[in-house]
Amino acid sequence: MTSTLETPEQEATVSPPAPGRLSRLGDRWLAIGFISPAMLLLLAMSVFPLLWALYLSFTDYSAARDVPASFVGFDNYAEVLTSSQVRQRALTTLIYVVGAVGLQTVLGFSIAYLISRRTRGRGALTTMFLVPMMLSPIVVGLFWRFMLDTQFGVVNSLLGSLGLGQVEWLTQQRTAMLSLVVVDTWQWTPFIMLIALAGLTAVPKYLYEAAAIDRASEWFRFRYITLPLVWPLLLIAVMFRAIEAFRQFDTVYILTNGGPGVSTETLSFHVYKVAFLGFDTGTASAYGILMVLVVIVLAQFYLRYLNKLKEG
Amino acid sequence: MRFANRSRGPARRARLAGATAVAMLVSLGLAACGDDSEPASKEAPSELDDLTDDPVTLNFIWFEWPPAQALEDFANAEYTKERPNVTIKVDTVPNANWHDAMFTQFAARQTDFDIAVLDSQHIGEAVTNDNILDITEFVEENIDTDAYDPYLLAAYGQYPQAETGQRDEDASLYGLPLLGDTWTMIYRKDLIGEEPPKTWDEMIAAAKTCQDENPGVSGLAFHQSNGSDAAAVTYNTVNGVYGGNLWESKDRKIEGVINDEAGHKAMDVLVNQMKPLTAKGSGNWFIDEVNAAVAQGKACIAFQWIAASGGLLDPAQSTLGKTREEILDKLGFATLPSQDADFVPLGGMGMHVSAYTSEAEQLEALNFMRWFQQPEVQKKWAAAGGVPSRTDALQSPEFLDAAPFNVVYAESVPRLRDMWNVPEYARLIDIENTNVNAALNGAKDPREALDEIARQQQSVLESSGGLD
Repeated sequence: MTSTLETPEQEATVSPPAPGRLSRLGDRWLAIGFISPAMLLLLAMSVFPLLWALYLSFTDYSAARDVPASFVGFDNYAEVLTSSQVRQRALTTLIYVVGAVGLQTVLGFSIAYLISRRTRGRGALTTMFLVPMMLSPIVVGLFWRFMLDTQFGVVNSLLGSLGLGQVEWLTQQRTAMLSLVVVDTWQWTPFIMLIALAGLTAVPKYLYEAAAIDRASEWFRFRYITLPLVWPLLLIAVMFRAIEAFRQFDTVYILTNGGPGVSTETLSFHVYKVAFLGFDTGTASAYGILMVLVVIVLAQFYLRYLNKLKEG
Repeated sequence: MRFANRSRGPARRARLAGATAVAMLVSLGLAACGDDSEPASKEAPSELDDLTDDPVTLNFIWFEWPPAQALEDFANAEYTKERPNVTIKVDTVPNANWHDAMFTQFAARQTDFDIAVLDSQHIGEAVTNDNILDITEFVEENIDTDAYDPYLLAAYGQYPQAETGQRDEDASLYGLPLLGDTWTMIYRKDLIGEEPPKTWDEMIAAAKTCQDENPGVSGLAFHQSNGSDAAAVTYNTVNGVYGGNLWESKDRKIEGVINDEAGHKAMDVLVNQMKPLTAKGSGNWFIDEVNAAVAQGKACIAFQWIAASGGLLDPAQSTLGKTREEILDKLGFATLPSQDADFVPLGGMGMHVSAYTSEAEQLEALNFMRWFQQPEVQKKWAAAGGVPSRTDALQSPEFLDAAPFNVVYAESVPRLRDMWNVPEYARLIDIENTNVNAALNGAKDPREALDEIARQQQSVLESSGGLD
């Protein structure tokens, strides 16, 4: 028995490479071989541009001029951080992120909660709700632009048939921001819904059964069973959405072009203008790096909170 | 021994992987620095003896609008009679992306177009960055410059910028006219009468009366969008009409010039007298929206670029009549009214040869430009829907009879005024666009908006970069 067990092990240890396989190509090298194309792509498309942008952010380089970059230290960073224009865009972005993600969270969770309570047609309903998320933001922006048109749009037509007046959705300061929030909410509520639904489905049924035996109220079950168990997952969804909304560009570009004036210009939109209207590449790079830093720092705090929540 | 080897292995491999990554990044960095060598020459040759007989595709870049398709059709039909081996392709992008599409390629020192159709204000940026060929000598040798209104030749090619109505013979030329353009006033003859208003104040009064008498029809329709140069051109036009100036070019002074008394008067007229006569929600209107309002009979008076007005006479796109004649019974086209001064906005574009395309294609592009400026070709271009720049073509029946608004252009030529043709143009126009748009949509006090324009634009001219 012993010899029978030992023999294959010894054979495996000393077995020669399979025919056609290079003698020096061990498992690790094979793994490296398989991973390296993806790694090279990552280096070329993500790591290198980031490092290059970091380098440019310390220079006065302009992509449009045929002049070598000169080192300017932290001047570009100081300029971005002390700019009143940047502060204004940061506030706009904050309002947008809080408004859009807040609304999406409430709606997404509510829809997921309602769907989770249904036993029939849940799959069909979920699929239907997911459709907006699968569309390109440019397409979404274009058709919402038509729908929100003051003169010919279907939204105002509907309001008119209800006896309400015309609303200038895209050309007034407050309604333009509201329109952006609504459009983003329309498209991305399904994302929150999907993750919340996954969380709700994973809540063990026996907890509800125990609560039912104790004759716990609906609110009690929601407050002390459902919400605490879904909360961490929901927070992860909120983080993803907040990061996405923070770098929002396409919907703003199509829907309001940052207007009226610059009242819906987000940070990303402003970086685009600095980079491509003035070709102020050094400043735009510093601006972009600072945006990345803000996201990383906030995400770190957020993740620590999530970890604490998990440990608790 | 085996364990010792095993423990060193991963560390060595990690170092190797790290070294490989660093090497990759360094090589990518070197690649990103690109080929810093200067192009062989930035000056166009004056002789075009070495044209190739091999198949050539001459690529233009322009924005999406009817003249772009008209140019491609016209050039492929006519130029190929002289050069059968050449195919013309006019690539188009949305208007809002036009500048970026050209200048990001220029920035990469590699263009997939041979001829950039630049707005007059783009020339400064392109020349300063050596993106286009200097064609001064080529023009001297190949083009009959006396056949042009001097300002038209200067506006689409000269740098430094020409003063209104003049051409500096000593300045270099970087392009030749492709399409002339200016604003036309479109008015409803059936609603305000056959005779167009002669002054700006009369025009506003006529629009108000028309709006009051015709519910559902707004008095005015004009460009107000914060994209492209829409709202800025509108303000600049009213500024010119009320005797204002955009800047003092010699001193590069904007503060105190654009926002002088005349400038504030113009902003007040635009925001407080003209805006209330426009349709609700028209604060983001540009070319298409103004055309739609006119074609659907929703505006008494509108202002539009001539080159974008052709569709208004198409019965398939209009509710004003079932034939072109029926539409023309209702629509009139006139030069802009004057008030304290007599300016109209310079529109249109020139052809400019990319410094980064191959020599064979540069020669072909220059040959095309030489061919295009011939008197007979200019007349044919006029008949095909283009707006020529040669004086003989402008006064030819082929041009004047081709469309009712062509006579408007011919009459407007002596009144044309341009904006700033400087490398900082893109930033200057964005500042003006966003602030005028804000004033038009109630997001900013008009006086405050104009002062902000002056302050920000002056800051851009003085620092040539940076944020506020």
